[in-house]
Amino acid sequence: MNLRIRFAIALAALLPALAGGQATGEYQVKAACLFNFAKFVEWPAQTFKSPADSMSICILGPNPFGRSLDDAVDGKTIDGRKFVVRQVAEIEQAGGCQILFIALRPKKRAPGAPPAMAGVLTVGESDGFAAGGGVIGFKLEGGRVRLEVNLEAAEQARLRISSKLLSLARIVKTQGM
Amino acid sequence: MKIIPSFASRACTVMLALWLARPLLAQDTKPADLTQISLEDLMNLQVTSVSKKEQKLGSAGAAVFVITQEDIRRSGATNIPDLLRMVPGVNVAQMSASTWAISIRGFNDVFADKVLVLIDGRSVYNPITSGVSWDQQDLPLEDIERIEVIRGPGGTVWGANAVNGVINIITKNAKNTQGGLVSAGGGSETTAQGLAQYGGAIGGTGTYRVFGKYSDIDSTTTPGGGSAQDGWQSLHGGFRSDWVLSPRDTLTVQGDLQESREGQNLTAVIPSALPLELTFIDRFDASAGNILARWNHTLANGSEMSLQVYDDHSSTFSLGGRDRQNTVDLDFQHHLSLGSRQDIVWGFGARVADLYLGPGYAIAYVPPSRTDVLLSAFFQDQVKITGSLSLAFGSKFEHNDYTGFGFEPSAQLVWNPTARQSLWLSAARAIRQPDAVDASIREAAATFPTGPGSFGVVAVVGNPSQRVERLNDFEVGYRIQATARVSVDVATFLNFYHDLRTVEELAPYFVTSPGPPHLVVPAVFEDIGTAHAYGGELSLDWKPANRWRLSSGYSLLHMVIFKDAANVDSEIGDSGSGTPQQQFQARSALNLPHHFEWDSSVEYVGRLAAGIPAYTRVDTRLGWRINEHWDFSAVGQNLLSPRHAEFPDDVGLNHMLISRSIFVKLTFRF
Repeated sequence: MNLRIRFAIALAALLPALAGGQATGEYQVKAACLFNFAKFVEWPAQTFKSPADSMSICILGPNPFGRSLDDAVDGKTIDGRKFVVRQVAEIEQAGGCQILFIALRPKKRAPGAPPAMAGVLTVGESDGFAAGGGVIGFKLEGGRVRLEVNLEAAEQARLRISSKLLSLARIVKTQGM
Repeated sequence: MKIIPSFASRACTVMLALWLARPLLAQDTKPADLTQISLEDLMNLQVTSVSKKEQKLGSAGAAVFVITQEDIRRSGATNIPDLLRMVPGVNVAQMSASTWAISIRGFNDVFADKVLVLIDGRSVYNPITSGVSWDQQDLPLEDIERIEVIRGPGGTVWGANAVNGVINIITKNAKNTQGGLVSAGGGSETTAQGLAQYGGAIGGTGTYRVFGKYSDIDSTTTPGGGSAQDGWQSLHGGFRSDWVLSPRDTLTVQGDLQESREGQNLTAVIPSALPLELTFIDRFDASAGNILARWNHTLANGSEMSLQVYDDHSSTFSLGGRDRQNTVDLDFQHHLSLGSRQDIVWGFGARVADLYLGPGYAIAYVPPSRTDVLLSAFFQDQVKITGSLSLAFGSKFEHNDYTGFGFEPSAQLVWNPTARQSLWLSAARAIRQPDAVDASIREAAATFPTGPGSFGVVAVVGNPSQRVERLNDFEVGYRIQATARVSVDVATFLNFYHDLRTVEELAPYFVTSPGPPHLVVPAVFEDIGTAHAYGGELSLDWKPANRWRLSSGYSLLHMVIFKDAANVDSEIGDSGSGTPQQQFQARSALNLPHHFEWDSSVEYVGRLAAGIPAYTRVDTRLGWRINEHWDFSAVGQNLLSPRHAEFPDDVGLNHMLISRSIFVKLTFRF
């Protein structure tokens, strides 16, 4: 009856819309970025003992990825290395990780100031993470995921970041506290 | 049990059709693998920041439980009420093939009215029946993204009548249901259930899905052992479309149409043949439709606003009368940050409901037509006092046609002593406004003998001057992610209810018509009930291994309802005795080799004061993900006993027994 007419009008009113991107989950994109970092970052020679050792991605703090990170790296390899995703409770347990995603904001330090750890690529999403000493920070701008890279922190961690990755990121310097 | 032959023939026909229609396209519905695209393209993708909301749930100052799509898929449930059984604090009782009594923390009733139930922001509380018709919320479970259940007054953001909690059902964005899906299932209680769905893209920026669902549910059993003849069929079609209009704008348009035909086992007074009170199978049919549009916009300063409009229409034939309602609702919300410490949400809404309540066997509504207008506004401010302590406070303001203006303030304090723990406290006031049934009903509810050859009739009379029912609620809760594999969530509450609806019998009088001459006892709705309740819920989640997850929940409710000593003979309309004191459930989800899954659950529901004994329910499901196109599952429900009762007779509706059942389903995706 007249509800069906309302339906027909509603369907007719679905006009083709303006150009724009399709929306995707924020953490799906960040998970894919972590996977890509493994491609574009070189770890110091002693990091892996054998070519079969896997690449560890560790999450410090509550896991915001849900299944996205596990799904992104499942069954994939980079340079023949598989991925392992782990959860760590304290930063002291993160020594064996190649990529450390810091999900919580450390309390007794200034925001976004993770300790420099050799051979560990620290990634975070809190405000000013990279400026505070993290190697790569995620920043949401205009609904897109952007990268901030702190080259000094990368050097301190003995990591070499490919120019391909640097060209897509904003370079930031460590800010004094 | 009957039906196996006809299920088999139906299923065979469907499977043959699917085999013959082998796919031309082969798209699965898993989310896109973003690792295949270049880093450059990754950074150009528009993302939806679901993270904020999810973090809020984790550090919320309220008792929250989220049923995920994975929980839904592995529960073996074929309808939403069965899904809600896994939530601690929620009491689900099936009363007949098509009727459930579902409530949170007490006051369970077929017409439970203290919980707000939303589907994608649309309230499914039916002002005609003054409750939720769960049989009409026959969504394809595959399309549900998650169900958020908040126990307690739900904070100031939610709508009217969220007194004891909110059940928020959120369906998947159309972009996550692309491609085709056909599923067919059948069993001993759910005789047949079929779903056909297809999703595609519209232009470069929109996605849609369209579905049609058919359900045929078998009758339950009367307490005497015969068929209740309350089986029903429902046909439901709908669509959802999601658009990304610009980097700052998204639009959702969705709608549904549904028809159902049911039987109801009733006991009703027949006024034309007094003192006759007849128990019979009544016809019930309902048709409903709705359309909703929601626009989300991110402003230049980063704040978000959303505007939603919907129209919901339903027409029901029940208890011998036809009722109709049409509701138009508009809702606006704005979410912004003020400085670095404050997070503010505010908004306003208006709802106009046109109702026509027709006369039935022994029911009339005076006046039969009315238009109810509800205006509301709210705000909530969350202040970060220190890095680990935050305080949220706010209020909702409402104006309704029955009781005028009301407000519901609330406050929550959340403390995170470490990143993995949170302790929260909350205090809130909530109201339930009267509705058309409370105000307008005139029903000959029952007859009783008064002596040889003479009788009396209890006549229920609505009261348009009822006050709002009020709740003052105090809660404390604690959550901890104890290890990477174990998490615990505890919530406790103390509730004080005032001005609850009661039924007061007044002085009887004699009438001569409709003949024969008889006594009439007026039973009027009043609002002098008081209740105190306390209790809590505990949930424990443990992953002993990566392939095995255990969840369990325990609920405790202790409620005392006071009757005003001045009452002559008062009965509380919504009785705390509708909910058991204790409930416990445990679920196991185990991944087996070769893509098999074995999921089971045990549920213990305590006895009801109204005389329904405690029961234990065991369900089990074997799932087989055959390949990326085919999926099979076999479910057994209520395995422990052949049949059992869950809820007593309620306002003329007679309760039936729920039987042990099996159900198998095959799903094909392309």
